[in-house]
Amino acid sequence: MKNLNLLDQLIYYFSHNGLYVLNQFNRTFLIAIYGVIFAAVIGIPIGIWTAKYRKLSPIVIGIANVIQTVPSLAMLSIIMLGLGLGVNTVIMTVFLYALLPIIKNTYTGMVNVDPDVLDSGKGMGMTTFQLLYLVELPLSLSVIMAGIRNALVLGIGITAIGSFVGAGGLGDIIIRGSNATNGGAIILAGALPTALMAIISDAVLAFFEKKFDPSKKKATK
Amino acid sequence: MKISKRFFKFLIVCAGMILLLTGCGFPGLGGNQKETVKVASMTTTEQQIMTYMVKGMIEHYSNLNVEIVNNLGSASVSLNAMKRGDADISAVRYNGTDLTTVLGNNAEKDPTVVAKKVKQEFKDRFHMTYFKSYGFADTYAFMVTQKYAKEHNLQTISDLKKIAPEMTVGIDQSWLNRKGDGYSGFKKEYQMDFGKIYPMQIGLVYDALQAGKMDSVLGYSTDGRIGSYDLKILKDDRQFFPPYDASPVATDAILKKHPELRPILNRMVGKISLKTIQKLNYRVDDNLEEPQAVANEYLKAHDYFKGSDS
Repeated sequence: MKNLNLLDQLIYYFSHNGLYVLNQFNRTFLIAIYGVIFAAVIGIPIGIWTAKYRKLSPIVIGIANVIQTVPSLAMLSIIMLGLGLGVNTVIMTVFLYALLPIIKNTYTGMVNVDPDVLDSGKGMGMTTFQLLYLVELPLSLSVIMAGIRNALVLGIGITAIGSFVGAGGLGDIIIRGSNATNGGAIILAGALPTALMAIISDAVLAFFEKKFDPSKKKATK
Repeated sequence: MKISKRFFKFLIVCAGMILLLTGCGFPGLGGNQKETVKVASMTTTEQQIMTYMVKGMIEHYSNLNVEIVNNLGSASVSLNAMKRGDADISAVRYNGTDLTTVLGNNAEKDPTVVAKKVKQEFKDRFHMTYFKSYGFADTYAFMVTQKYAKEHNLQTISDLKKIAPEMTVGIDQSWLNRKGDGYSGFKKEYQMDFGKIYPMQIGLVYDALQAGKMDSVLGYSTDGRIGSYDLKILKDDRQFFPPYDASPVATDAILKKHPELRPILNRMVGKISLKTIQKLNYRVDDNLEEPQAVANEYLKAHDYFKGSDS
């Protein structure tokens, strides 16, 4: 093995362990995405709610900010005390870190909706729910999407660290590479797909963000 | 009032979500599903290979899913995980280690006494079943390069005594503070004190020795790199290090819940020799193969140890 250069080693590694890498890739992605989905389910309503009661926004965003400042390894260990080792701990950590970008962006998106548009909606006799559903959300969707995009990229990074509490994923490959002789290729084999996953999901969500941008939308009909 | 009512509702939703998060499994991740057995593994190569073998065996002979709790830092972390229910089976435990560290007994030289004592104590104190050994024992071994051995005329650990104060020695992360067979016990038994000691990740000590950064390292005798680097193992002439037979350990709770596990784990008893594990370790450490691939290939080549019930 030692006579191969790094690239050859990497190719050799992928050809022998491709399926394993793919499994871990899936696993990492699922952990990150579950955390972000839970954060979206809880964070978007909180964002909407704080936009309605703006006095509360410093408190809510302040709390989310504090959560964000805890170093991820410390957060993992703290949550581990409660949830034990394994995948749930990592999902919970991703969830907590994903809250801030999602809440903040939802809040910003909702607050920035033009009050004139809201007024005209009200004038048309829309109920509060209709206003939210038909006017405010569509107009702020692109900003919310940007928050989810941020959260997912963050989540993928945290999931890689999650290997330390036994959750598995691509972080396992990186840790193993640091144990093996000439593990450079193995470390790369874990790190490159992680980076790739972050880049791809960022690009995909950026596409959606653009798609939902109301200023870019052509008037239909 | 409106706010507080809504806030209350929101709290309920939050609590519900958290319950959901902790309570159920996630599709594609295993999680806490009923038919899942969780196997704890540590960071060393050998641990990971054996973990995947256990996984392969259980999935071959039963309908259970196996979830691996990987990269645990030490034997006591892994034991705590089992005590808390984060893991049901530990793929490899070394009985010599458990005797002195977990159970806090004095080191014992006789392998059969160790095995018996540890098995009994694990049953009584932790309600766990210690299976018979896989057939290999891992032990600490002081090693040096052939060149260094020749220079200083080294055969046994006692030979180090003269040069010990000038030596730099690499060790794993737990030996320095281990009771019984740790450094303090070693100093007493061999009457020597090393100049400088560097605790490091165990995978790195062999490279550090080979690269000349260390004069001697305390490695694991099953490591494949001893062969590939042609390192010299110094004989433990005072038999300080107890035997560390490697066996799987399972909680009694999981054996009761899934009785089919016992014969599966018993099937692996005595199947992996020291030579075999060295070879497998070597493939993972030096040949860019994943423990999973190596373990599955070995199981397939041996037909999942079929027809050899014990």
